[in-house]
Amino acid sequence: MSRKTRVLLADDHVLIRAGLRMVVDAQPDLTVVGEAGDGREAVAMAENLKPDVVVMDIGMPTLNGIEAASQVREKLPDAQIVMLSMHSDEGYVLRALKAGAKAYLLKDSAETDLARAIRAAAEGKSFFSPAVGRVLLEDYVRKLQRTGGEDSYDLLSPREREILQLVAEGKSSKEIANLLNLSVYTVETHRARVMQKLNLRGIPELILYAVRKGIIA
Amino acid sequence: MTVAIADEDPKQSPLRWILLVVFAALLTLMMIAGAFALRDLRQMYAEQQAVRHAFADRARGISNLCLSIQVYNQTASDGDFSGATRAKLDGLSAQIRAAVDRLEADHHQEEGPLLSSIRTLVARQQSLYEDRRRRNAVLALQDSQPLNEMLLAWSRNSSTWSSTRVHNDDEAMLVDFGKLDGTLSKSFIIALASALLLVVACMIYILRLERQTQVRYVQLARNRHELQRLSSRLVDAQESERRSISRELHDEIGQSLGALLVDLSRLSASVPPDRPEVKEQVERMKGVAERSVQAVRNIALLLRPSMLDDLGLGPALEWQGREVSRRSDIEVEVHAESASADLPPEYATTIYRLVQEALNNAVRHSGARTAKVELERAGRRVCVRISDDGRGFDPKRTRGLGILGMEERVKRLGGDFTVLSSPGQGTRIAADLPLPTESAAA
Repeated sequence: MSRKTRVLLADDHVLIRAGLRMVVDAQPDLTVVGEAGDGREAVAMAENLKPDVVVMDIGMPTLNGIEAASQVREKLPDAQIVMLSMHSDEGYVLRALKAGAKAYLLKDSAETDLARAIRAAAEGKSFFSPAVGRVLLEDYVRKLQRTGGEDSYDLLSPREREILQLVAEGKSSKEIANLLNLSVYTVETHRARVMQKLNLRGIPELILYAVRKGIIA
Repeated sequence: MTVAIADEDPKQSPLRWILLVVFAALLTLMMIAGAFALRDLRQMYAEQQAVRHAFADRARGISNLCLSIQVYNQTASDGDFSGATRAKLDGLSAQIRAAVDRLEADHHQEEGPLLSSIRTLVARQQSLYEDRRRRNAVLALQDSQPLNEMLLAWSRNSSTWSSTRVHNDDEAMLVDFGKLDGTLSKSFIIALASALLLVVACMIYILRLERQTQVRYVQLARNRHELQRLSSRLVDAQESERRSISRELHDEIGQSLGALLVDLSRLSASVPPDRPEVKEQVERMKGVAERSVQAVRNIALLLRPSMLDDLGLGPALEWQGREVSRRSDIEVEVHAESASADLPPEYATTIYRLVQEALNNAVRHSGARTAKVELERAGRRVCVRISDDGRGFDPKRTRGLGILGMEERVKRLGGDFTVLSSPGQGTRIAADLPLPTESAAA
């Protein structure tokens, strides 16, 4: 058995932190190495403790979770972020993704999904609370219905859908090329076409799209 | 907005009535003086005319008299005693008498003795002529010689008297002129003095009015400033109050409920499988806690959207748009991302509340299908526009508290606020806000 995944908890509420700590410590493969009460403290402690995963609340005083997440990612590129939030709105999800978060958890479901989210993030995979995908999808479908737009997902070829999923799961072009027995160049071309067809700017938007469509969770 | 002008001072100054009376008096004075001067002038003109006529008449009368006397003398001295000559002489003497009578009627005492002597002379000449018919002509000529000289002397006297009379008339006219001059000068001085008085009074009155106006204006400006400050503080107070209540709700109740939820989940997980009724009860409790968490969260978000603090204005506006899309029939499109960076918090709050109010209005009244929120930055200005394709309204007639509140918030930051709408044409609300300069922001 490999060493335990080291987790740093950042939330401005003692009660919540205590609850999260109990959940994490109950897992045999996870251990809490520290607790921070605000964003600034979280960044400083991450630099000292070098955790594998930082569980970060979005709404924190002095420095909010999103800013803190980008700073942590900047200083420790290997540390992964699990974002905790009360909001399933895409504005939050997208900004969390842009800040470099791998997982996005709603606080309501933190109890049930936290361990899974931490493990997924530690492996470099994405994880989203099921409710997030549901809300994003509802917004998307409603907008399509009202504006009479068409679902751009239908425009994608089977190969492009495959590549979309793999990119969204966090795999690099090289990994995808190996997996599908294609050249890296071909994968890059497919990837660019997917982005163009779906009118996406950057990986965070692609991940958001994938979550919305239920391609990843 | 119109500002109520201060009411007219109920204690109207008596000065205005005094001024009016003085004005009227001055005008009357000038009119009376003018009328008098005009009358005097006319009178003088008439007098002068009469004097001139009288003088001309007399001159004519005198010259006629002289002529008649000379003709008489001539005829009489010819020594012709025929009947025709006699008749002519009689006619001439009658003419002379008549002329003397006319001159006498003028009643000039200086001429009185002269005229009576003429009368005597003429009578004497007449009698001389009768004598001559009997005596010899030489004697008669001797007698008539002094008569001729006397006549000549009298003629000289007469012209002297005439010029004396003209001179006297001139004197009288001069006196009249002097009187007129005095009257005119007096009325002129009085008019000038009153006008001067009037001007001074007017100036004093105007200056006083100006001073009062200035005082009122300053007062008005101060009041308006106070009002603006008050309403601005009201908005600030409302905003900070909302923030603190929201914070309180979220931090205290929300977090306690959240912790309760976590505990309930763990409890539910640790219930032994042979006690399904306990698990069901715990799940029910969890459901209640979840709904409470949701309710508290919704209230807190309404009071103060945490995304405004967490993510900034652009994402908060996008969230707001999606929220409205979720709970209403309006699909909201938001273009705000590029313009929302680095806005001062006051501006972000103002714009956020503006959009919130405008979208709420659209949901409640417009029946629109789509709405659009646009945020643009141009130089040191930021402009936000909210438009919908609803049924619109007449902004001149309908002006709810919501719109007043928006206007108030925009004015507070020195911006321009416009509502463009007409029935059937949708609504377009725009606010153009000047951003503070760097030095002011620092």
